[in-house]
Amino acid sequence: MATSVVEDALANSPDDHGKFIPAKLGRWSPITVISALSTCVPLLVLIGILTILFKKAYPAIKYNGGGFLIGRNWRPGNFYANPVTTNGVQHPLLASYGALPLIIGTLESSVIALIFAIPLSVGAAVIVAKKLHPRLRGFVGAFLELLAGIPSVVFGLWGALTLGPLLSRDIYPVIASHAPNIFILKYFRGSTGAGEGLLTSSLILGIMIIPIIASTTRDLIAQVPRLAEEGAFALGMTEWEVTRKVTFPWISAGVIGATVLGFARALGETMAVAMVSGVVLGSYPTNIYGTFTTIAATIVSQLDSALTDATGLAVETLAEAALILMLITLLANVGARLLVRRVASTSLPIGRGV
Amino acid sequence: MKDLVIDREEDPGNKTSQRTDVSTSRTILNVRHLDIGFGDKHVIQDVNLAMPTGSIVSLIGPTGSGKTTFLRSVNRLNDKVSGFWTKGSINLLDQEVLSKEIDLLELRRQVGMLFQRPNPFPMSIKDNVLAGIKAHKMAPRAAYKEIVQDALEKVGLWKAVYDRLDDSPFRLSGGQQQLLCLARSLAVQPKVLLLDEPTSALDPISVEAVENLFSKLVPEITFIVVTHSLAQAKRISDYTMFFFDGKLMESGVTSEIFENPQMPETQFYISGRIG
Repeated sequence: MATSVVEDALANSPDDHGKFIPAKLGRWSPITVISALSTCVPLLVLIGILTILFKKAYPAIKYNGGGFLIGRNWRPGNFYANPVTTNGVQHPLLASYGALPLIIGTLESSVIALIFAIPLSVGAAVIVAKKLHPRLRGFVGAFLELLAGIPSVVFGLWGALTLGPLLSRDIYPVIASHAPNIFILKYFRGSTGAGEGLLTSSLILGIMIIPIIASTTRDLIAQVPRLAEEGAFALGMTEWEVTRKVTFPWISAGVIGATVLGFARALGETMAVAMVSGVVLGSYPTNIYGTFTTIAATIVSQLDSALTDATGLAVETLAEAALILMLITLLANVGARLLVRRVASTSLPIGRGV
Repeated sequence: MKDLVIDREEDPGNKTSQRTDVSTSRTILNVRHLDIGFGDKHVIQDVNLAMPTGSIVSLIGPTGSGKTTFLRSVNRLNDKVSGFWTKGSINLLDQEVLSKEIDLLELRRQVGMLFQRPNPFPMSIKDNVLAGIKAHKMAPRAAYKEIVQDALEKVGLWKAVYDRLDDSPFRLSGGQQQLLCLARSLAVQPKVLLLDEPTSALDPISVEAVENLFSKLVPEITFIVVTHSLAQAKRISDYTMFFFDGKLMESGVTSEIFENPQMPETQFYISGRIG
């Protein structure tokens, strides 16, 4: 009578009780296999694309060398002269490529776009989630998401035909004549051009990524536990203090994630930028209104002529540029992940599911 | 604080029973003909009550009886709920809570609140304690350290967290988190603490720790506790108020309410037959 039911049960159970034994689905059940394969697909696709891109770009990498990353000339060479061979790579006479203006243009326009888009998106999300009447909330929210569905070529056309000319006629000259000649503001001075250029492109990019950041942020705000915010109100905090000290920290990791999605979109955005940047190869803009180009816009605008390069170097160089764009995007993602981890580890509850 | 006497004969038609003991003390909260609702829903109907300063008052009653709604009206936390309306008067610390002119932020400094589940803010343990101090600019930066230690010692949490004040509060146990929330409320020196089932999510040992704290803090701070645990109401409160169907059915000294309830609804409720 000394042993209880529980002790009996323990005594009679197999030796390895407590270890994890998947019941009847052995180690390689169909579900396991299918899930394992599907898990591998994104990874395989990524590795595949990188490999193919690298293979395609390899002759260009060999020919252009490290100068590709620091050079600023974009000279496809003479397609009609006899091809020359250097380092075992056949290339048109006098061909010389440097992608630095492209790389800088890509980063510049995307960063400026983020500077516009982050405050606007987060502000819009806060208003929509906290201030609007619930009925209006759905309505405005739907519009925000519709904005995300507008094809980029439409944005590009609008930027090239309407926004760019309008800004360069009525807004840019005013800014340019009033900007002081100090630090970063000095780049707002000078010639404002015809509307094609860095600032116009960044504005368009900013508008394109607002829905990405704003709709995610709005959803995140809605998920902040009401109890935490009520606790802050009950402590006598103002609406703004509650938003700043409780709501924002709660969602910051998610907002960073959304921002990186937006940044990646801006980095890779092709059509709209190709239409409003001016696609000027081989030079940097001297002020914020200047014409420029990005990696993506260059690839799409140069592909046609590159295909006429009988040696193939022009196309291979575009592949090399694409490879760099991909690496930049991947780096941005990795960086964001590290940032999210840092932000999330300081103060957020574990297993919150954001 | 002026003396307020509750006139038991004031409303002979009202079928609630008000004991003499409540009326003989100085009161911190006086509620007159209070009606509360959300849109068409009438949640609180003609509640009149007074709470003595420096006591623990339990609000008991079945789910949906309006006790939490009442509690959240004392610091106007219902304001943001859509359709919320009130009629009548809530006089707390000689201010009319429901008036438009009242300084809501200052009211909420004087009236702290503890919720059903711990709700630390997403900031370090230290910053949680200081959140209210910073919001009300109550102390210079130099005094922060002392305030944190003081508040945490008061709730008996200092020894457990003194070496990780910069860590996330979410790694603390549920009971510790609730104590932290209590420390956060105490830091701004409230006169009244509203407790909305403050221990319903805690383990028995934490419940005991939290309850002991209430009794320790009590003459300086008046506690209004909504609780579903009759045992808890009996254990900790000086006075008990029984809400039923949006009305205050009966109120008085806790032992009398539990030993000799006057209203049949109270009898049913405390004997476990309703609610």
